[in-house]
Amino acid sequence: MALPPLLTKDDVGYFRAILLALSARKSRVTRTLYAAALLALLVLPTLLFAQCPDSQASSAPPPESQTPDSQDIKPIPVLQTSAGFISTFDGGEPHLGPILTPVLLVPIGQRWLFETRATFESDLTQEPGLSGFHGTLQKEVEYAQLDFIANPYMTVTVGRFLTPFGIYNERLYPVWIRNLATDPLTLPIGVGPSNASTGAMVRGGFRANSKFNINYAAYYSVLSTVSPVDSSRFAGGRVGIFVPKARLEIGGSFQHLLQDDHSNLFGFHLIWQPRALPLDIRAETARSSTGSGYWVESAYRLSRLPFARNEFRRTQLVARMQQFYTGTVPSDSVLPVNTNMFEFGVNYYFRDDFRALTSYGRQFSPEGNANVWTVGITYRLVVPLGNGEVQ
Amino acid sequence: MSRTAVLATAFMVLISSTVIVIAQERKDPPRAANSQPSAQDQQVAAAADTATSTSAPSTDSATRRDVRTAVLSERAMRVEGEKRFQTNCGRCHLAPQKFPPRAMATIVRHMRVRAMLTDEDMRLILRYMTE
Repeated sequence: MALPPLLTKDDVGYFRAILLALSARKSRVTRTLYAAALLALLVLPTLLFAQCPDSQASSAPPPESQTPDSQDIKPIPVLQTSAGFISTFDGGEPHLGPILTPVLLVPIGQRWLFETRATFESDLTQEPGLSGFHGTLQKEVEYAQLDFIANPYMTVTVGRFLTPFGIYNERLYPVWIRNLATDPLTLPIGVGPSNASTGAMVRGGFRANSKFNINYAAYYSVLSTVSPVDSSRFAGGRVGIFVPKARLEIGGSFQHLLQDDHSNLFGFHLIWQPRALPLDIRAETARSSTGSGYWVESAYRLSRLPFARNEFRRTQLVARMQQFYTGTVPSDSVLPVNTNMFEFGVNYYFRDDFRALTSYGRQFSPEGNANVWTVGITYRLVVPLGNGEVQ
Repeated sequence: MSRTAVLATAFMVLISSTVIVIAQERKDPPRAANSQPSAQDQQVAAAADTATSTSAPSTDSATRRDVRTAVLSERAMRVEGEKRFQTNCGRCHLAPQKFPPRAMATIVRHMRVRAMLTDEDMRLILRYMTE
């Protein structure tokens, strides 16, 4: 007498489905654990390194013992506003771009800082059948974060913060800082929607030895679909080595997406200011499943010319070359086709906070080549919200 | 004009600009920064000398040496602060004008977080910017 089979075909299919679900769940948990381990690996060595007494060796005078007065200065809230008006002619089509970016800094005690930045900007264009320029006002909270300076080596940040992937988004993005009015083609890579993350971050910088400093950032961002504070779910970090004597910084960024295709993103950056020349060289590269590319930018201040010194020392020549390659995963945030672009610009600084900038660029892509002209002015204003003098 | 020609022209312009700039700099080497005491330093040192010389006749050379050491230390701190300021802050933007001390303390704390300055750099820069 034949025994009935223990498992029917339906049972096998059912268990296979359960196993697949379990393995997928396990895979997700494993990836999260990997991300957590990576963050720990990034943070722990830097902290341990920083705690080493020898790491604080310095040829400079010990500041803590000689600058007690700097600790006695009680900070006050500050409002900083940068404004710009950039006109762009992209492929012959004129765009007017007013932008206003207030930054509010509120120090709390000796260790806390609340900082937030909002952007109000518009892209005004000519519309058929209408006179003048038309567009909508775009409002965005770029960051609203609470910083806790835990110790000289680490600051803990929670809230919405600029994603520290590469250098452009965090350091060079403000309209009064950037040398060219246009964004690099690779900017959307690694920074998430609206260039910001929502979650927590630890970061800091410390002197590793007498020759170089180390700076680091490790972060975790949660998914948010609430506009205008949307963000993606990912974890990542950035580490940089800065050699003060050579004025050279090199570093790398890593990010692991915890959603969509769960891909990894990589980036490298470089900043170099040769001591012998008033020259800035910056470069960044980024690689992801949605696209890859690089940009290299140099800016030279004409402060050493032997004639018309007053005018030329305020003048800066800028050049930038960049290439972008599409990835395997389509995305709305990056360009849809391979694109090359070079730009030349001239900036004139009336003061350190007020300047005029202009540039010409040529963009090459399969969709058609185009000239991109920009001209504009930028201004920055700092308003102390209280009595700024030491009592 | 073809794309290759434009890129070749851009490349040539970049190369020739670099060569011209380097040649120009070799002809006119930069002065060593902070190699000589500034007029302000000399005034501070002179003030220290005056203070010690006009004090009581019993002021001995040790006191005079202490004052001078303090002046030199002050100068060293200022020079170091300026150096740290240009090295760190100048990586991204021009040197801003000085703001009131309490506002400057806030801005430096903000930049400590943003630019990941070391604790030592922050203190020296704050001191330099609030003098």
